[in-house]
Amino acid sequence: MSTIRTIAAVAACKAARGILRMLHRGGTALPGKVAMKFDKEVLRTVSRGMKIIVVTGTNGKTTTCRMLEHALTRSGFPCLANKSGANLLSGVTAEFVCSADWRGRPKTEYAVVECDEGALKQVVPLLAPEVITVTNLFRDQLDRYGEVTHTLNAVKSGVEASPQTALCLNADCSLTSSIALDVPNPVFYYGLDVPVGEQKETEISDARHCIRCGTAYEYRYYTYAHLGGFCCPNCGYSRHDADVSVTQINSVSPAGSEVRMKWRGSKKDAAISLPAVFNIYNAAAAVCAFTVFSDRLKERHGITLPAESIFDALSDVESSFGRMENFDLDGVPVQMILVKNPAGCSQSISYLTQLKQDYMLAACLNDRTADGHDISWIWDADYEKLSEDPYLKQILVCGDRAEDLQLRLKYAGIPEERIELLPDFASMLGKIRTSNLPVFAMPNYTSMLELRGLLSQATGKKAFWK
Amino acid sequence: MEQLRICHLYPEVLNLYGDRGNIRCLQQRLLWRNIDCEITQVKIGDRADLSAFDLFFIGGGQDFEQEVLLGDLKSGKAAEIRAAIEDGKTFLCICGGYQMLGHYYETYEGVKCEFLGAIDFYTVGGKVRMIDNYAFRLGEESGGSTVVGFENHSGRTYLGPGVKPLGTVLKGYGNNGEDKTEGVRYKNVFGSYSHGPILPKNPELCDEILRSALERRYGRADLSPLEDRFEKLAHEKVLERVLSDRNSGD
Repeated sequence: MSTIRTIAAVAACKAARGILRMLHRGGTALPGKVAMKFDKEVLRTVSRGMKIIVVTGTNGKTTTCRMLEHALTRSGFPCLANKSGANLLSGVTAEFVCSADWRGRPKTEYAVVECDEGALKQVVPLLAPEVITVTNLFRDQLDRYGEVTHTLNAVKSGVEASPQTALCLNADCSLTSSIALDVPNPVFYYGLDVPVGEQKETEISDARHCIRCGTAYEYRYYTYAHLGGFCCPNCGYSRHDADVSVTQINSVSPAGSEVRMKWRGSKKDAAISLPAVFNIYNAAAAVCAFTVFSDRLKERHGITLPAESIFDALSDVESSFGRMENFDLDGVPVQMILVKNPAGCSQSISYLTQLKQDYMLAACLNDRTADGHDISWIWDADYEKLSEDPYLKQILVCGDRAEDLQLRLKYAGIPEERIELLPDFASMLGKIRTSNLPVFAMPNYTSMLELRGLLSQATGKKAFWK
Repeated sequence: MEQLRICHLYPEVLNLYGDRGNIRCLQQRLLWRNIDCEITQVKIGDRADLSAFDLFFIGGGQDFEQEVLLGDLKSGKAAEIRAAIEDGKTFLCICGGYQMLGHYYETYEGVKCEFLGAIDFYTVGGKVRMIDNYAFRLGEESGGSTVVGFENHSGRTYLGPGVKPLGTVLKGYGNNGEDKTEGVRYKNVFGSYSHGPILPKNPELCDEILRSALERRYGRADLSPLEDRFEKLAHEKVLERVLSDRNSGD
């Protein structure tokens, strides 16, 4: 039932977005704010009856969403997705309102929603999703989010707001899987049953001590950062057996990975078209969420969605903006890897150093509000590994805090003459264009937007909000 | 070859905000001068002879993890740390590690947590967090140079009468946002709220700390000057922004 308020909210939201687009501005949050001025809970109305998967967590939200969305679309289930990365209440609201009809009735039946960890408790009660997937929890922008336990509690209260919703949790992340200890929701787990490479205990861990009793965890194996086969020797809190797990990693290259998974009790080989270990995790998260979603559609709505189609989707999913995204700049291959926190950054560095091919690195660091003003986390990322990589020939640095990044690289043991500080992103693009080596760009959030803007202009790719 | 023995206390819990970069910085600036250094991590439950070290680093941690180590301090390390301080050993203590040296921390809700009481100061939890880039000038006894860093704390620290701060706030909050003091300087203890981490962008302070440890150990300190081009660029960028009230790239 639509009320005058809903109709006004929808009209205002669509008008605001229309005007912003006419001005060539990718306004993704403002139209939602406008809509909420008319009807605070308009999101509830415009999502009524929809079947929704929500993805949250520190790293991997966008890519996991992209995998799920691709699988749904491929199976003939058109769905709504907040692809622009606007993942707070206002951005999610704008996305749903703009795709509803003028009376606020949804025009699509399915949705895959990326949601900020802190915004989960506002978004979830309005959406009442079928499934919530939590990718992982790491320290991230401490000046914005506070300590990682604050984020954990925020996610918990979001989950509790919808006790019927099924949860898919990363079994290897002691913080993420601890959510199950305190909430009534049905829970499913995914993870890696095997260690990755020669990962061992890292110096920096976001969760070294048991979240329940404070005793230091013991690990049967590590995958990366604090993820792995953890076990508390005191209270017994330990990694839960995974419903969907990776049992073997066969290959990892810039083009993607091949793995074997345990799925519905049998073995399943899977090709993942996006490279690096964190995308193996994203794939496992997507398989788990999609399978649970499929089961629930059947049970609760009598709808048949073939769960296997997630595997086809993994094999040809394309990267989302800035996340392992490939460009060809006048013949120079450029791969862009968004890094926002120590865990993601160290993983990206591990990916680069195992490629064994000559390359140039373009590292960018901004400190705007969307990035967090505190950039000290770069000292917790493992740049030292780069100094031991004989294939890394040159590093370009750029951004608001390029000088800090340059200093970090010096203390990581990289010779000063291999580092070049550039005054702006246009000069960085110029340097990339004339490189005779493949280039890997490692920007943080707003520097990614800037560099990607220039790169997409130069290579004819779409702007992120189109 | 001269050598400093550095003790990194509680690295497994006090490891927030890149503070381990300070260890990296101390180590590199010694190695560049052909001074050897040995870094020992002393964790919760480890029994180590603290009198065998020349320089101690204690960082900041997450609140919930910080509670874990109070028990360990009581089991004997507290007395050893106090003795090392009185003995003139050099300490660099950041944020939570700095607060730990005082008498107590009283949370905003009024719960009192007893700390080491090695230096006469105390900390009270505040309602608002004091977060941002900031700058302060070191006292003469610490070299008098300017320091830039990033503060992020809700605790307000008040120094006892006669206790010297590490420096005077130029821009930002410092110890409590009221009296313009930042950190503490007591014997060879350098306590500060500054993350960043504090040392890499402030090489003069780093050298001052190394000098105090070398003098204590060898009775003299010859620190040859280093070419600090990258250090100065990073320092000046932040200083210029802080002084002109532009605290981020927005």
